Amino acid sequence: MNARLDVLMWAQRINGNKKLPPHQLLAVPANADMETAQAAFHKIARMAHPDLHRNGLTAAELELVTSAYATIANAYQSCRNQAMATARMKPIDKAPGVPAPATPSGAAPIQAGPQSAMSSRALVYYRKAELCLKRGDLRGAMLQLKMAIGTDPSSTFLRAALIEVESEARKAP
Amino acid sequence: MAIALGIDLGTTNSCAAVATPTGVEFVLGSRAERIHPSVVAFPASGGVVVGADAKRYRLTEPGNVIHSAKRFIGQNIRAPLVQLALTGIRYKVVEGPNQQPIVAVRDRRMTMPEISSHVLQYLKRCAERQLGTAIADAVVTVPANFTDAQRTATKEAGRLAGLNVTRLINEPTAAALAYGFGRNKDQLITVFDFGGGTFDVSILKIDGEVFEVLASDGDFFLGGDDLDRALAEVLAAECTRVLHFDPRPNAVLMMKLMMGAEAIKCHLSDNDAAEGEIDGIDLPNGQVGSLSFSLTRLQFEELINGYINRTIEVTRQVLAQANLPASAISDILCVGGSTRIPAVRQRLAEVFLRQPNVSINPDEVVAQGAAIQAGSLSGSITAGTGMGARDAVLTDAHSPLIYGGGKPQTALVRPVLLDVNPSTLAIQTTGGFAEKLLDKNAPIPIERSRVFTTARDNQTRVEIDCCRGESRRYAENEPLGKLVLEELPAKPRGDLKIEVSFRVDADGILHVAASDVDSGQKQEAVLHVIGAPTGDIA
Repeated sequence: MNARLDVLMWAQRINGNKKLPPHQLLAVPANADMETAQAAFHKIARMAHPDLHRNGLTAAELELVTSAYATIANAYQSCRNQAMATARMKPIDKAPGVPAPATPSGAAPIQAGPQSAMSSRALVYYRKAELCLKRGDLRGAMLQLKMAIGTDPSSTFLRAALIEVESEARKAP
Repeated sequence: MAIALGIDLGTTNSCAAVATPTGVEFVLGSRAERIHPSVVAFPASGGVVVGADAKRYRLTEPGNVIHSAKRFIGQNIRAPLVQLALTGIRYKVVEGPNQQPIVAVRDRRMTMPEISSHVLQYLKRCAERQLGTAIADAVVTVPANFTDAQRTATKEAGRLAGLNVTRLINEPTAAALAYGFGRNKDQLITVFDFGGGTFDVSILKIDGEVFEVLASDGDFFLGGDDLDRALAEVLAAECTRVLHFDPRPNAVLMMKLMMGAEAIKCHLSDNDAAEGEIDGIDLPNGQVGSLSFSLTRLQFEELINGYINRTIEVTRQVLAQANLPASAISDILCVGGSTRIPAVRQRLAEVFLRQPNVSINPDEVVAQGAAIQAGSLSGSITAGTGMGARDAVLTDAHSPLIYGGGKPQTALVRPVLLDVNPSTLAIQTTGGFAEKLLDKNAPIPIERSRVFTTARDNQTRVEIDCCRGESRRYAENEPLGKLVLEELPAKPRGDLKIEVSFRVDADGILHVAASDVDSGQKQEAVLHVIGAPTGDIA
């Protein structure tokens, strides 16, 4: 019953140090981003979530584990709030915790003839996006592309273009 | 090995399932149906009738048929939205002690948990007959935005039905579990749960066997029933125009129009127009007439547009709460019967720029998730692979689950559900402000304590008012209850330190404790919850 002893020792350690700052409880750096905090929390949850120990522990032991886990949950929430506040100061497309969207297979490259791939109203926005791209204004281009998609949500061409620009924006410094 | 039941206790329909060695098995009614109306009838001939059979009494004895009890369970009857919902029902609800709604039918008075317990008991009986074994444990699902009192009342319903409710889980989370358990994928999904009475949206991160809810929100008084009612109002207006009388004061007639409206709604999900007649309308002159109608899908969509706008607005809010762009979501699960409406799916596709996932069965996926969680909590599931959402639609033939008795083929895998606290919890401080203690969308179980002090010299009694809601002003939030600390040592103001700790357990139920820091003397106090069932009804 190694898992049982491990989780009880862990719970004892956490319960004895409840007043530590949140990031220390979660064992992450003080200015950890969302992904780091999340990974640390998931690791603890896999090991110590009270649901996993319902059948192996006595009621008093389970209460110890629950209390320790609940403390960690609060620490995670604090770290997450801080990470979110930090992320808001950066542009949204560089925010941590946003995985890259997969490019749909068979998506048209951005240079292909756009006239046939969307409605004429969407094309107006698309042309504006092209102008933005020429100026190097990636965020402007994304906005115009999103407007275009709003006008013509069925166009896979536009979506592929948006994904391409978004990934460009991520690469840019 | 004890078998635990997973129950989706819905506003209009309920569904139950068990995780068995051959996959998820649904609990069938007497006509082999998987979906059971959450209707309880107390017919004049005596007895209690539940499910599809109870629905038959709707037209003959509308006052004796209790439906939509979920809208009132654990509610304060004086809340404005509850009062509004009361206008839509045909049975009698009166105010009981502690401001809880009490059903008065024939000569009986019953609490809402009692009504729901009849539905749970019915499902339990069906399951026991089907499996040939006694069932004691159950996991029951609740809407993600259910309050503390509503959750407590739902547990109480389970207790009255003779079930040990091992866990309450949120409906969107259950759906995500059924969809993602055993797929071993890392992805972000949105669960759009638009049912008969409630509406919820959750965004989850699936990280292997870990299901973390990132954000969740909803509207407790928004569902398919509201769409039916809107359409029934149109039919009533048509009735006034064509047949020259107002059917609205007539309970039986309005029920007939509601049933007609529901049928038209469902028909318009698959067809562009609905035309026909509603027969058997009793005219004031004693004759029986019929009302013909003709409605296109576009007209219907225009009628319900406001409701759909509201769901889309909440969806965007939840994305913002999770701090995610719509493009980061890799799948959108449609749960609840109202997601069959094409306009809903189309609007969702516009938000997420991809088609929502409609391969799951919107009526059954929640019960399936509950069954998986029930099996996991009772220890009967030790390993799982490929419990795909599609199984809810197709057969129960192949078994992704390996039972406790057998040797696990793969490493020990049990789902870890990281659900969230549905609303901000706060306490009142000097000046009428609400001091936030636990955030909305914080993971549960969670515990947080803060130290407070006294405002007056020699204060020996402190009242701690707890509330839920986002406002900074206490009065603008929904009061939850009050915790009273007495016989504190008399000290100058500001000297006494009181540590208040809030714990939200894995069922989403709040526990408050307070203690005097210096003496270390813990004053456990029970939160007095307004609207909660008190056991006795005078």
